[in-house]
Amino acid sequence: MTEPQPVVLGELPSLSKLYVNAATTAARRRVMGTSAGERLPVVSHEVRNVLADVGNLTAYQHLVGETASDILPAGYVHALAFPVSMSVMNRDDFPLPLLGMIHLRNHAEQHAPILFSEPLDIRSWAENLAGHRAGTQLDVMAEVRSASSGDLLWRGVSTYLAKGVFLPGIDKPGNSNGSPGSSDFSPPDPTALWQLGLDAGRNYATVSGDFNPIHLSVLSAKALGLRGSIAHGMYLASRALADVGAVKSDSFAWDVTFEAPVFLPARVALDIATVHSGSGGWERSDYVAWNPRSGRRHFTGTVSALS
Amino acid sequence: MAVADETSGGTRNQGSAPQAPRAAVIVGGNRIPFARTGGAYVKSSNQDMLTAALDGLIARFGLQDERIGEVAAGAVLKHSRDFNLTREAVLGSALSPETPAYDLQQACATGLETVIGLSNKIKLGQIDSAIAGGVDSASDAPIAVSEGLREILLDLNRAKTPVQKLKIIGRVRPKDLAPDAPNTGEPRTGLSMGEHQALTTAQWKITREAQDELSFNSHRNLAAAYERGFFDDLITPYRGLNRDSNMRADTTLEKLSSLKPVFGKNLGSEATMTAGNSTPLTDGASTVLLATAEWADAHGLPKLATVLDGEAAAVDFVHGKDGLLMAPVFAVPRLLARHGLTLEDIDFFEIHEAFAGTVLSTLAAWEDEDFGRTRLGLDGALGKVDRAKLNVNGSSLAAGHPFAATGGRIVASLAKMLHEKGSVDGRPARGLISVCAAGGQGVVALLEAA
Repeated sequence: MTEPQPVVLGELPSLSKLYVNAATTAARRRVMGTSAGERLPVVSHEVRNVLADVGNLTAYQHLVGETASDILPAGYVHALAFPVSMSVMNRDDFPLPLLGMIHLRNHAEQHAPILFSEPLDIRSWAENLAGHRAGTQLDVMAEVRSASSGDLLWRGVSTYLAKGVFLPGIDKPGNSNGSPGSSDFSPPDPTALWQLGLDAGRNYATVSGDFNPIHLSVLSAKALGLRGSIAHGMYLASRALADVGAVKSDSFAWDVTFEAPVFLPARVALDIATVHSGSGGWERSDYVAWNPRSGRRHFTGTVSALS
Repeated sequence: MAVADETSGGTRNQGSAPQAPRAAVIVGGNRIPFARTGGAYVKSSNQDMLTAALDGLIARFGLQDERIGEVAAGAVLKHSRDFNLTREAVLGSALSPETPAYDLQQACATGLETVIGLSNKIKLGQIDSAIAGGVDSASDAPIAVSEGLREILLDLNRAKTPVQKLKIIGRVRPKDLAPDAPNTGEPRTGLSMGEHQALTTAQWKITREAQDELSFNSHRNLAAAYERGFFDDLITPYRGLNRDSNMRADTTLEKLSSLKPVFGKNLGSEATMTAGNSTPLTDGASTVLLATAEWADAHGLPKLATVLDGEAAAVDFVHGKDGLLMAPVFAVPRLLARHGLTLEDIDFFEIHEAFAGTVLSTLAAWEDEDFGRTRLGLDGALGKVDRAKLNVNGSSLAAGHPFAATGGRIVASLAKMLHEKGSVDGRPARGLISVCAAGGQGVVALLEAA
């Protein structure tokens, strides 16, 4: 595909403004009956010399169960890049409605530890527009580089679904995009049990800046058609990553596939299994989380060593 | 067997230096820079800082996934949720999760006592490696509910019926809502540590000039040590801090002498203790890696110094017999006697500067003929500390004093100094550490170049 054309933004966009803009865009498109087309914009958005705020970092680390070290947790880097990704999805020529998108999967690669004091260049773009049995999906890519050396430090691929949106010219796939085997899931004995309060969504919104209304309160979630507020997927995945802990190597891949949403308040059962390589070193940690009452699976994932 | 034991036991006198089966070696240390309270570490918890210091130590000595014999650390200001602080820090670190850990608390002597206790375990053959440490945050200090509210809440928890609960809630009075913050007051005297020291400072007639000079030297020595890179392998930056934020490299005697006294203002004598010659409240953490010589060799790690011995003492400060922070005055002569040493046999003195007055009162007591005879049971004065050997790389007045972290700071620095010095007159260089603590306690230790 064509290399996306970079658009350099002066600073990190405000997520709250982006959400407001997304809502008005959605309303305008509904009233006018217009659409933005069927293709992804061939641009990338970039913000240079981004610095983590240390107070915000500490609050994030404490919330997800990380120690307040000087190294940015991989989930924090995702949160740092998220406004740039959001600004791409907020473009007038972005073909899918931003509000109500469902986070299907997330893949992140931490290539080297990032010190909080390191200025970062963050770039994001969208690709792989594809059909899904329930709508249309796409990958939002993000790259985080050292502003001084240009080295790639972190890379993320977030796969989102615009449910019920079918674009002409994009065929529904077979069954390959369904969550395989979720009906066969039989919960193992948990290694941890999380108690998530009604405020879990608001607390994560405060540290991540992701004030998507579906996470904030029962009322705001109901306004968007949910029966209650749900936990942020990346909050859950970040807690799992924190639970995996210091065993992981300096460079690792972190994958999560989201299934049943976690309606708040909730108890979430978690199982983490560590897999060692033949030489005895850490190879990967697999995790799965489920509702201990219903046995429904909330998410599965892996943290694995990058060679 | 009993006979054999008696024979070998009979070769040593009680109270003489025990013949340790093997040495406890100091491999090295790591701490985070100390920050003035409310500064760079304002939102960091004790667990965060202890983990940061541990992770720096792990990185420096390649201890990732290593199962260490035991880790001991502690904090003086401790939240109730931190009951297993050290173990939690180990679990959050890159050490093997199969490393056991315990918490220890002996006020400001916590850090030094972890070093002595773990060294003893190494000498006894119980463990081959250990990490000692300490941490304190005055910024993230615990605040408890008032005693009245605490009792009400506990009763409420036990109540069964709504009527019982309502009755209990009705007991809450406005005064119960005032929180209970920690302070440095001694529980039995109500005097703060500074006020206690002011009494001792006056008793030993320590002048304002002498205190300011000691403080000036502390800042100057610490700054010089940073300048020549002494701390490069002893400190890992944290939260943007590279050096102790309390240090004033450019301070002068004039500046120090211009500060207003803060302690001892209601005594008959002149008030001499200022913010400049007293340690400020500080946040920080320190760690020390200890091992047998074999373990260090097997891991290809350095052997800086050995922990020869330690001694604790306590004084009856409650009734004014001795000053609150004067216990090391008694511990040091006992420790030296056990090894047949005098103050002149020591090459480095590390006397923790809780206040400049504490150090100077300690030195004055050791130089006092009458005190030596009547209180220390000696023929005369214990002796004079060569000031050129005292706190040569600065101490708490400049670095700051996160209570439980001070012991680890001193031990790691002294071990490195002894290693650099090597031998003196054909014998290993010796260093003496003295740390005073709340409750009229003191812990001292003897180190030797390895």
